[in-house]
Amino acid sequence: MSVSVENLSVAYRSRRGDVTAVDNVSFALADGEIMGLAGESGSGKSTLGNALIYLDPRMRQTGGKVTLDGRELPIADPKSMRPRRMTEISLVPQYAMSALPPTRKIGKLTGDLLKSHRVRNQAEVLTEMRRRIELIGLREDVLGKYPFELSGGMRQRVTIIMSTLLNPSLLIADEVTSALDVSTQRAVGEMLLEFRDRGYVKSVIAITHDLSILAQIADSITIMYAGRLAEKASTDTIVNSPLHPYTQALIASLPAVGVRHDQTTLTGIPGRPPSLASPPAGCRFRDRCPFAFGKCRETPPFEEVRPGHYVACWKVSQEEQAG
Amino acid sequence: MSESASQAPEAPKPPGLAESPASVAPVAGAPAGLAAGGVGAVGRQRGDLLYYGLRNRKLVFGLGLELLLVLFAIIGPIIAKYPPLALTGAQLQHPGGTYWLGTNTLGNDLFSQLANGLRESYLVGALGALSASVVGMALGFAAGWRGGILDEVLQMITNIVVMIPSLVLLVVIGAYLNSRSVLFEGIFIGLTTWPWVARAVRAQTFSLRSREFVDMAKLSGKRPLAIIVRDIAPNMASYLFLVVILLFGSSMLLAASYDFLGLGPTGIVSLGTMMNQAQNEAALLYHEWWWFIPPGVVLTAMVAALLVANVGLDEVFNPKLREQ
Repeated sequence: MSVSVENLSVAYRSRRGDVTAVDNVSFALADGEIMGLAGESGSGKSTLGNALIYLDPRMRQTGGKVTLDGRELPIADPKSMRPRRMTEISLVPQYAMSALPPTRKIGKLTGDLLKSHRVRNQAEVLTEMRRRIELIGLREDVLGKYPFELSGGMRQRVTIIMSTLLNPSLLIADEVTSALDVSTQRAVGEMLLEFRDRGYVKSVIAITHDLSILAQIADSITIMYAGRLAEKASTDTIVNSPLHPYTQALIASLPAVGVRHDQTTLTGIPGRPPSLASPPAGCRFRDRCPFAFGKCRETPPFEEVRPGHYVACWKVSQEEQAG
Repeated sequence: MSESASQAPEAPKPPGLAESPASVAPVAGAPAGLAAGGVGAVGRQRGDLLYYGLRNRKLVFGLGLELLLVLFAIIGPIIAKYPPLALTGAQLQHPGGTYWLGTNTLGNDLFSQLANGLRESYLVGALGALSASVVGMALGFAAGWRGGILDEVLQMITNIVVMIPSLVLLVVIGAYLNSRSVLFEGIFIGLTTWPWVARAVRAQTFSLRSREFVDMAKLSGKRPLAIIVRDIAPNMASYLFLVVILLFGSSMLLAASYDFLGLGPTGIVSLGTMMNQAQNEAALLYHEWWWFIPPGVVLTAMVAALLVANVGLDEVFNPKLREQ
């Protein structure tokens, strides 16, 4: 169990009070697990990913605890977090393509990072970096190039290599494939798999709204809705037999291979997610849920209904108990 | 920003690369270290700047003229026959074989005064530019990077310094000092001209610090000072370079005007004091042109050359201004 998050809450400070973007979230990641974290815009998935590594001044941890490799990760304390970034936990941001400073060459930039972390055997690490660059099919001369001399996909891959250079235990990949064309998406996805298999990263949280890329690379998928976890299960289970009504609706709104849409129309999910500034009591999907009933006025617990399958839904818990 | 310049005592865990020594063999005979890939690109970029620099007529003219004047400031005092303040006994001589630029009413050799004065001007300019840019950049980077209350305080200090009339301040300080040195004048100029540097640097840092690559540097646990020096400053390097040059020129002009008003360093000769004496002795009225024209021309040439070179440099650094 390399990562465990217990009852984590993160709020954005605003003039009208705290907006809780991540609300009482608990999950665990096994060694070598690639967990997909999916949800619509504003569901709090990026906030969750960011909070684990860099709590920016607008964000505040309002509760909970994060443990990485058995040691607590003091996410609210920037001083003790700084040396652990990149060495133990890394993030590839949504904007990975513009994450490289325009005035530093890739090799120099890597040297700066290593120096910042007081890495002694720099030469060795850089040799390893060359090896990894060749592994993913780029030429090692990218080390002597400026970021603007590389294409978007190359920059994305170089950023991933740099973030994982010190073999962190956890890599958070935030929308790493969103801005890429489909073939580069596949290459980046395979690169994450390869890096996991070779042990460059122990576990990965891949944040995306694109369920199809997760289906290719993730071992498990966690669905987030309005700041809370809705469902977590293995990729197969989420794709083929989801239990939470929101997950079901999400999967149903994806086009499937072999279905012609001139006869059937793709359905979306009616309604909008609730505002996180004043969220409704009880289940947050209640208003859009076709199965909502009286009990949904209370907050459903995120519980394990089958082995390895966690759901936060009263209807599902009742059905599982009944039979 | 919550990120502060922390010095974490413990070294982070070494990367677990050592366990597979066979697999980390250097690729294709590439030498270990950074230099391998970098050399070509550096050479190419330097070459580019040199190419455009030598082609730029403004830069070549400005720098050439400046270089001549610097040479004069170095060699002039050595080849001068008399010390600048020595009384030669020959008063108000026209320029000629003995006194190359003539003498003044006291009998000082004006060539020696001009050469020594030019040297003092460069010294004051360098001191002023150095101190103003050090203070301005330090405060600008600090205010722009940290923001918040520190920024408010530094902005307030900046605004106060802008409002202080430096001439009056100089008169007041001068009243308390027995003698003023070149060092004092240079640093005084530096400490009164830094605010606009600080403002410009702060504004640029403010906009640069929210760029994605700075976020990424924070996410990778880079130290704040390293982020400022390595990621933010290079993005305004050409601007900073031009700022130093402009400060250099304006410090020399300011020093000359202080000297002309009699507020300059005591016991030395500068271009400003030469003109001050010429003014006091009504050199203009008596057509003693050799007394006030050379220092005026040299001063103008020195600052103008810098400004022309500055425009040229701007064109070299900024590809959009380069002529095709």
